[in-house]
Amino acid sequence: MGSWKSHVRAGLQQRDHKEKVPFVGVFTSLSELEDRFEIRAQILEDVQSDSFEVGEVGKNTRLLQLQLRESENLSGKLSQTVSDLTTVLHLKEAELQHWQSRVSQYRQEALSLAKGSNALKATLSELEFTVECQSKELAALRLEQKGLKEASGQACREKERLLQRWMEEKREEAERLNRFNDTQERFQHLAKRLKKHFQRRMKKERAPIAEKSPSAIHRINNVTDTHQGHSGYKHVSAAAKV
Amino acid sequence: MADDKDVLRDVWFGRIPTCFTLNQDEVTEREAEPYYLLLPRVSYLTLVTDKVKKHFLKVMRAEDVEEMWFEYEGTPLKWHYPIGVLFDLHASNNVLPWSITVHFKNFPEHDLLHCPSNSVIEAHFMSSIKEADALKHKSQVVNDMQKKDHKQLWMGLQNDKFDQFWAMNRKLMEYPTEEGGFRYIPFRIYQTMSDRPFIQKLFRPTSPEGNAHTLGDLLKEMYPDALTNDGKSPHKGTRWVNTLRHSSYPTAYLSVISFGDGRK
Repeated sequence: MGSWKSHVRAGLQQRDHKEKVPFVGVFTSLSELEDRFEIRAQILEDVQSDSFEVGEVGKNTRLLQLQLRESENLSGKLSQTVSDLTTVLHLKEAELQHWQSRVSQYRQEALSLAKGSNALKATLSELEFTVECQSKELAALRLEQKGLKEASGQACREKERLLQRWMEEKREEAERLNRFNDTQERFQHLAKRLKKHFQRRMKKERAPIAEKSPSAIHRINNVTDTHQGHSGYKHVSAAAKV
Repeated sequence: MADDKDVLRDVWFGRIPTCFTLNQDEVTEREAEPYYLLLPRVSYLTLVTDKVKKHFLKVMRAEDVEEMWFEYEGTPLKWHYPIGVLFDLHASNNVLPWSITVHFKNFPEHDLLHCPSNSVIEAHFMSSIKEADALKHKSQVVNDMQKKDHKQLWMGLQNDKFDQFWAMNRKLMEYPTEEGGFRYIPFRIYQTMSDRPFIQKLFRPTSPEGNAHTLGDLLKEMYPDALTNDGKSPHKGTRWVNTLRHSSYPTAYLSVISFGDGRK
């Protein structure tokens, strides 16, 4: 702010030093002398035309009249200066009032700004408190989340382990069922062969055996059917499970 | 602005020592003595030369007297330019006092405007004030002023009353930042090496990005070699607003002289 002002003032002073200062004294004196000369010439003309007196008294009277007119002229000039100064005074007073009103206005603005600032500070304080509470809450939630994550990891691992166990169990069950089915197949095969063998033997010994015990053959047939029906059910079940 | 009164005073009280000489072709009853006068830079030639006219009329016959006009080294001096502009344009390099020739005949109709009375100067002055305010404040300030305020501005200039003038001109130089400040900077660039009267363009005090323009910004854009016409080299880093508010003429226009010899 001060930089440009000092630069401008330095420039202006340099200019005045070159253009104004060397001439102002001479020009002002010349102007004053010219004014004075003009006034004197005018006054002298008036005085000479008005006065008819001659001799020493007349000369003194003319001189006094000249001095009087000069004094009147000077007085007029001074009156003008007083008038100018009064005008300047009025202007300064008006300016002072203007600046006072500006000061008052700025004071009002400053007050309202201070109020606004206080309100903003209070809001800021409230917000800071809220932020602090929420930060604490967030920290607690994070801690809880960490615990839950750990529990979740544990549960996942447990689930994996159980799944593995279950799969193992299922595999063993299927193997057991397959073994049972194999046994069943072998048993049926054996039963068929025994039945055929028994039937052949029965044919050879038909007559005497039939007379002796017909209920024995019936009993053997029943046992074979029961085995066949049971193995058929198990076979389907194992296959479905596997 | 109150703090800057020193600068304002220095600008206002700038003076040019001048020697007025009657043109040799003028018919006189006896030899005319030259007339010496300190001219205020911020005023107009025809406004401050009543004494010059009176001085030369003493030696002339009434029938030989027409409208008075001034000439410097063959160039008629435009009365509607501020005196400081005329001096810097035509004679800033020459030896002081500035020697001006006075004419009472052969008015150069093509070069000069007639100035039959001070009311013409007043009209020109007020026109410039209004034009500048249209650029700065959309004419709001000058339109809000009363007739007596306009009169106060004019009387301040006419009677060389700094306080009277600035009591009113202060309003025209208000820079309300909350309302975006000046719309445009009223400036005129006068060229020594051109027949064009002056360059005048719309120029905002801030860039679209919001940075304050400086006098250097405009000079860079328009004329790299320039000098302000209050007789001092501009501080090119000075913000436009400050330059305008403190260095402008009473017409509210900031005037810049561009020299053809590359002088800065």
